[in-house]
Amino acid sequence: MKACWTIFRKEMRVYFVSPLAYVFLAAFLFLAGLFFYLGITLTGEASLRVMLGNLSITLLFVLPMLTMRHFAEEQRAGTLELLLTAPAPPWALIVGKWAASLALCVVMLAGTFLFPVMLAWYGDPDWGVVGTSYLALVLCAAAFCAAGLFASSLTQDQMAAGIAGILVLLPFWLVGQAASLTENPTLTSILEKASFLAHLRGFTKGVVDTADLSWFLLFVFLFLFLTYRTLESRRWR
Amino acid sequence: MIEAKALTKRYGPFTAVRDVTFAVGRGTILGFIGPNGAGKTTTMRMLTGFLPATSGDAVVAGFDVFEAPMEVKRRVGYLPERPPLYPELTVGDYLSFVAELREVPARGRQRRIGEVMEQVGLLGWERRVLGSLSKGYRQRVGLAQALVHDPPVLILDEPTSGLDPAQNVGIRELIRTVGKDRTVVLSTHILAEVEATCDEVVLIHEGVIAAAGPLETIRASAVGGPAWRAEIQGEGAAREVGRLPGVARVEPSDLPDGWTCLLVVADDDPRPAIADLAARSGWRIRSLERVVPGLEDAFLAIVGREDRRGGAR
Repeated sequence: MKACWTIFRKEMRVYFVSPLAYVFLAAFLFLAGLFFYLGITLTGEASLRVMLGNLSITLLFVLPMLTMRHFAEEQRAGTLELLLTAPAPPWALIVGKWAASLALCVVMLAGTFLFPVMLAWYGDPDWGVVGTSYLALVLCAAAFCAAGLFASSLTQDQMAAGIAGILVLLPFWLVGQAASLTENPTLTSILEKASFLAHLRGFTKGVVDTADLSWFLLFVFLFLFLTYRTLESRRWR
Repeated sequence: MIEAKALTKRYGPFTAVRDVTFAVGRGTILGFIGPNGAGKTTTMRMLTGFLPATSGDAVVAGFDVFEAPMEVKRRVGYLPERPPLYPELTVGDYLSFVAELREVPARGRQRRIGEVMEQVGLLGWERRVLGSLSKGYRQRVGLAQALVHDPPVLILDEPTSGLDPAQNVGIRELIRTVGKDRTVVLSTHILAEVEATCDEVVLIHEGVIAAAGPLETIRASAVGGPAWRAEIQGEGAAREVGRLPGVARVEPSDLPDGWTCLLVVADDDPRPAIADLAARSGWRIRSLERVVPGLEDAFLAIVGREDRRGGAR
C-alpha cells in the first residue's frame, strides 16, 4: 500500500515537472470550452449534455496518450528494472500508476466545472444530472486509464502504446453504434452490453444503476489484471 | 551472503546461462568477468529477482531469491547496466523516491540521502535535473540509488562503463570502501578494473563458468602454474633445465638477437638451480625473473581453451 502511494506521488511529480500535464490540461479545457459554447448556441438549451457527451469521446483519445508512457517508457529507459527489484509488489506499481493518471484526469475534469457554474449563473441546471454525468466521466476515465496502461505494458514504444490504447478502447465505443444497425435482437443486446454508450446512458439521465457501475469497475479490474499478466510474462520471456 | 546453485536460464532453445554455481562471503568483492554476451547480466538479474531462473537456486543475504523475493529485494542494492534514472526528476527528488520505495524509514531518510550523496561525490547536486547530467554523474546517481537503503549485498552491473579514467579511479575506490563490510558482486569486461577492485573472480564464457577463484589463482592458470623466465645463451640449455628437479615444463623460444628465452613452469622457485647449472655448464645468463601473468593472459588463455574445446565437440 505504501509503495502504491510512493509510485503515485512519483508519477504526479513526473507529470507536473514536465510540460505534459499542462499541455493536456490546456488542450482539454480548450475543447471543453468549445463543446460548451457549441452545445449552447446550436441547441439553444441551457444544458451540459452536448459538452459532457463530447468530453467522454475526447477522453477516449486523450487518456491513452496520457498513459502511454507509463510502462513503455519504464521499459525503454530500463527503470522498470529499478521498480521490479525494489521491495514493492508489481500490483502496487500498476495501481499507483493508474491512480496517478486518473487523478490527473480528475484535475482536468475539475477544470471544466466552471461551465456548470456559469450555467447556474443564468439558469437552473439539474445538479443531480450534472453530478451523475460527472461521475460517468470519472468512470470512463478510470476505464480508459486502465486500458491505456495495459497498452503501455505491451510495448517499449510510446506512440505504439498510445495508438494501441485507442484501438483497444474504440471497439467498446463503436459496438454501441453497431447495435442500433442490426435487426437481430440477440446480437443487439450483446453489442449493447459490451458498449460504453449503453452503460453511460443511465448516468446522463441522472440514474445511477449498480449494473452500470459494476460494468465499469469490472472493466478497470480486467485491464489492470491484464497489465499485471503482461508484466509478469515479460519476465519469463 | 550469496550462494548460487546450478543457476540456469533458457530463452526457448537458447541457453543464456548454464549451471552457474558460486558463493561469495561478507567483505568480499567478486568480479564477474567475461566477453560481452557471456551471461553476466542474466546471472545478476537472476540474483536480484528481476528474472526468474529456468532451474537452480540462489540464496542471497540468507533468503531464497525465488521463494522469498521481497526479503531479498530489501537487502540488495542493484545498479543495472544502464543507471535507471527518470530524466525529468532532480537528483534529490529521485533519491527520495528510491529511498521511499526501498523502505528507508521516513525518520532519518533525508540524512541518509545526504550521507550517500557525500559518499558518491554528489554533494551540491540535489537540484540538478537527471536528464542534464553527464554520464559519470548519472553513474554516481545510479550508485547512490543502489546504496541508499544500506544493503548488505551490492550487485553492480558494469559500474564503471563509460567513465573517464579519473572517474574510474574514484568509483573503484568507492566500491572498495563500501565493499569492506558488504558482499559485492560486480561485472565488467575491463580486466584492469577487476585487478584494481576484486578479491575473487568468476570468469563466465558462453553462459558457463570457465574459471573461478581468488585473483592469484586465476592469473596463474594462464600459464598452467607459477612460472619463471630465463634468457640464456648455451648449448642444450632448454633440455638441461627441463631435467632439474621440480620443473614441470620448459618452453624455449629464440630471441632475434641470438639469445634463447626459456619459460619455466615449476612448483618451487627454480632460479638458484638454474644459476648453478649455468655456472657449471658455462652458459651466459642475462635475465632470470618471475613471470607475473596479467589477468588479460589468463582471460585469453581460458577463453581460448574453452573455444578450442567447443570446436572439438
